[in-house]
Amino acid sequence: MGVVTRRSFASFDPTSGVRRHRPDYWLLVIGAALLAVGLIVVYSISPGLAAEQGSESALRLVYKQLVAVGLGVIAFAITANMPLKMWERLQTPLLIAAALSVVAVRVFGEEVNGAYRWIHIGGLSFQSVELIKFALLVWLAGFLAARIRAGTLGDFKQSFRPLLLILGALGVVVAGVQSDLGSTGVAVAIMASMAFVAGLPMRNLLLIGAGVVVLLVLAVSTTGYRQHRLMTFLNPAQDCLDTGYQACQALIAVGSGGMTGLGLGNSVQAFGYLPEAENDSIFAIYAEKFGFIGVTVLLGLFLAFFARIKRVMERAPDDVSRLLVVGIFTWLAVQAIINIGAMLGLLPLKGITLPFISQGGSSVVFVMALIGIVFQVSRYTLYSAPRQTDNRRYENIDDRRRVRGAYNANLGSRR
Amino acid sequence: MIFALVALAIGVFWVRAFYLQVIRHEHYVQAAKNDQLKEYEIPAQRGVIRAHNSDEVVPIVLNQKLYTIYADPVLIKDADKVANTLVNVLGGNAADYRKKLTAKDTRYVVLAKKVEDGKRQAILRNKYPGVGAQELSYRTYPNGSLAAQLLGFVNDEGAGVYGIEQALNGTLAGKAGELKAVTDVHGVPLAANSDNVRIAPVSGSDVVLTIDVAMQKQLEDILQKGVERAKSAHGSALIMDPNTGAIKAMANWPTFDPGKYGEVEDPAVFTNGAVATPLEVGSTMKPLTTAAALDMGAVSADTTYFDPASWTIEGYKITNVEEDGGPGRKNLAELLNLSLNTGATWLLMQMSKPGGTEITKQGREKWHDYLLHHYRFGQVTGIEQGYEAEGIVPDPNRGDARNLTYANTTFGQGITATPLQMAAAYSAMLNGGTYYQPRLIDQIIGPDGKAATVQPKVLARNVVKSSTSEAMQPLLEYVVKNHSATAHFDQSLYSVGGKTGTAQVAGADGRYKANDFNGTYVGFVGGDKPEYVISVVVYEPKISGYAGSVAAQPIFADLAGMLIANFGVTPRGR
Repeated sequence: MGVVTRRSFASFDPTSGVRRHRPDYWLLVIGAALLAVGLIVVYSISPGLAAEQGSESALRLVYKQLVAVGLGVIAFAITANMPLKMWERLQTPLLIAAALSVVAVRVFGEEVNGAYRWIHIGGLSFQSVELIKFALLVWLAGFLAARIRAGTLGDFKQSFRPLLLILGALGVVVAGVQSDLGSTGVAVAIMASMAFVAGLPMRNLLLIGAGVVVLLVLAVSTTGYRQHRLMTFLNPAQDCLDTGYQACQALIAVGSGGMTGLGLGNSVQAFGYLPEAENDSIFAIYAEKFGFIGVTVLLGLFLAFFARIKRVMERAPDDVSRLLVVGIFTWLAVQAIINIGAMLGLLPLKGITLPFISQGGSSVVFVMALIGIVFQVSRYTLYSAPRQTDNRRYENIDDRRRVRGAYNANLGSRR
Repeated sequence: MIFALVALAIGVFWVRAFYLQVIRHEHYVQAAKNDQLKEYEIPAQRGVIRAHNSDEVVPIVLNQKLYTIYADPVLIKDADKVANTLVNVLGGNAADYRKKLTAKDTRYVVLAKKVEDGKRQAILRNKYPGVGAQELSYRTYPNGSLAAQLLGFVNDEGAGVYGIEQALNGTLAGKAGELKAVTDVHGVPLAANSDNVRIAPVSGSDVVLTIDVAMQKQLEDILQKGVERAKSAHGSALIMDPNTGAIKAMANWPTFDPGKYGEVEDPAVFTNGAVATPLEVGSTMKPLTTAAALDMGAVSADTTYFDPASWTIEGYKITNVEEDGGPGRKNLAELLNLSLNTGATWLLMQMSKPGGTEITKQGREKWHDYLLHHYRFGQVTGIEQGYEAEGIVPDPNRGDARNLTYANTTFGQGITATPLQMAAAYSAMLNGGTYYQPRLIDQIIGPDGKAATVQPKVLARNVVKSSTSEAMQPLLEYVVKNHSATAHFDQSLYSVGGKTGTAQVAGADGRYKANDFNGTYVGFVGGDKPEYVISVVVYEPKISGYAGSVAAQPIFADLAGMLIANFGVTPRGR
């Protein structure tokens, strides 16, 4: 990777470039399987949690999740059919929408522990950081692709300064106002991977990296609860009662699952012991119910899913779509790793949802929108991964064959 | 490369999951059990206490279910909201609740105790995570403070303290059951689990007291008035059936409300002084000395003797407190009527050697035998009460000045006894010589509903000969007749007898106080035979006159009149 493809935006056109062909349905199959796993776990603990939380409806969480999935299907339908060139036009509107959401959350949102992260719309909660990440993704793809086209990636004023400004804005808004270090980390990771793939000079990347490390140290050392969390992570068993409680209960949930798990209806930890059982901690509940075998299956599904995204990424027809998929890959992978790593006691706890599995409206909707983008890109993938700076394009003939109306006569000439 | 990193992370997770779920499985199963498997005691229903009320049996201690509202601060999400609800339902201060709800380093704080069911439901209706209620059974007392010290109470730990509740805790409490269950974080058991165990509790037994509620009320009323009239700080009184050992009424003033025992400032008020506070009884001992001398044949009912109004024993002078009329010939009736210390001392001389004026080792040992084995001083009676005291009987041989000490014991100094021990000894002296164990329990009704009636228990026979009993009754009637204590009854119709005591009180320095005396009285009411024995003590009254006569005797007289008027004492000749 790290390959820069110098194909212009204008050339990205089904008529002049790669033909639209059969999309990667594996993305849908695995994505649906992961969503199903999430729904099953939420369904099995919903009655108990409803009783704990004093809800009238035993399946309230399931309904919420089904509504979110429904909205997600709509989002998927939109992004999966949106012409890829549209994304560059949406750069600015999305940034404005993200900025508005930040203001809305600050004004109308619910304050929890001094942080403003959520806004409630008709029973569904909206987390503005999801929109921020999405806007960042789309903006970066367009921005970096434009710099590649102009050959100004290494130019400080043209590319490096705007990136630093965006990074600073992220720090102020997400880490500062919303006090959400975990999401800031995801956003920074998205930026870093996209900039890296785009070919931003290594010197600049390292500079940014050093800056982020300094800021991180400052953020941790100036905030008591973050210090506490870090210490807790380093020694979770010491502090099962207070801040280490969730980490400790997560390990108990995972460990007590054993090889085969306690069974679908037999989770105990979900009933008040493990906080955020339906949400951030859902992996641990899953592990308690389905054991090591279940964990193996779930990790396998994630691995297969990321492999499919990687395949699309490597064969993306142009810079914008490639960078979009790189960002999406990073987004989903980093969230999955931070979330699962925390549940296994390998990483500190962050309020990060597990893509597909966690209950939570905004997470599910945006994840499905992201898959829509990848799905759309997969319709235009090249036959094999480009090598080095070779400008030759290879169309995936196997895929094309199955597209109704594809020209057989063209097959040979493309090779 | 990015994918390789992700694949590596997933690989690490897989290995880590294997470590946690397969290799360390047992450890986490145990950790989960420690958290999730809770053992509860299922409290047994405590037995209720009933008492007689003429022909009925009425409850005097019942159970009421109340709730302790508690919280697990770790699970409290919105302390302000919970605190506001608590203020609305229970009253109190929101800041106090908030402080408890946000307490660190604990998973259990008590928010309120003794909350009624309606209020509990009003709080739990909100289903706040981390807020729960525990049912606890509390004692309630339909008669308020009636018989408070005799009943005792049940403390916060569910243990009976003082009185019946302490003495019969095992009988009343039953046996707690046990519940082991995997629960949610609030401790609510989850559906059937192979680790769940349930052992049902066994309810405690109910008891029926020998106490008569109406008599108890009147006794308390008379005692309170008598203690206040004598400007005393406190006093005790009891009424006993001399022919069965059953206590009919027993009270102490001041008293307290056992339903609000937590509000009591001085815990001394919890003590049932009638059984738990031994004292030097003073001259109420003289009838027992007289009966012992008669019983061992040292004197006879018609014996007369020359009383010198003063004896010098081991360098100390024994004189009489009350007006004794100076030296002269006296009989046993006058000995008691004038309450002659010198006469009581003379009785000990007769026990030593009839006709003599010396106190000997043999005499001391004979009197000691009566004190210890006949009248059963120096040991508990075994009544169903907490903290019963033994009292002290001095050794007849060991120690200095035994003759003087033993002379003192004949008129109730240098020896201590509880009002109950005095009543029990008088009962034996008057009923023909059978020492019945004093008791408060008439029936025990098991959890199966089967009632077992407690039979009178004889602790000693031949305490005195029946002829001695027959001799003592008129002697004590004579004392009452000559003490103008007869306003409430007609002695020609009823046999009423008794003896005052004005006892010196040892101060903190071990010396007797110059101006403080305890007033005591022990007497009986009956027809041909005594039917009730009454024992009264009024501590350090502050009115002029001899304490026994001005403080204790009026209470006895009121009680005797009350028994005759209201409780069917059999008149003479029936």
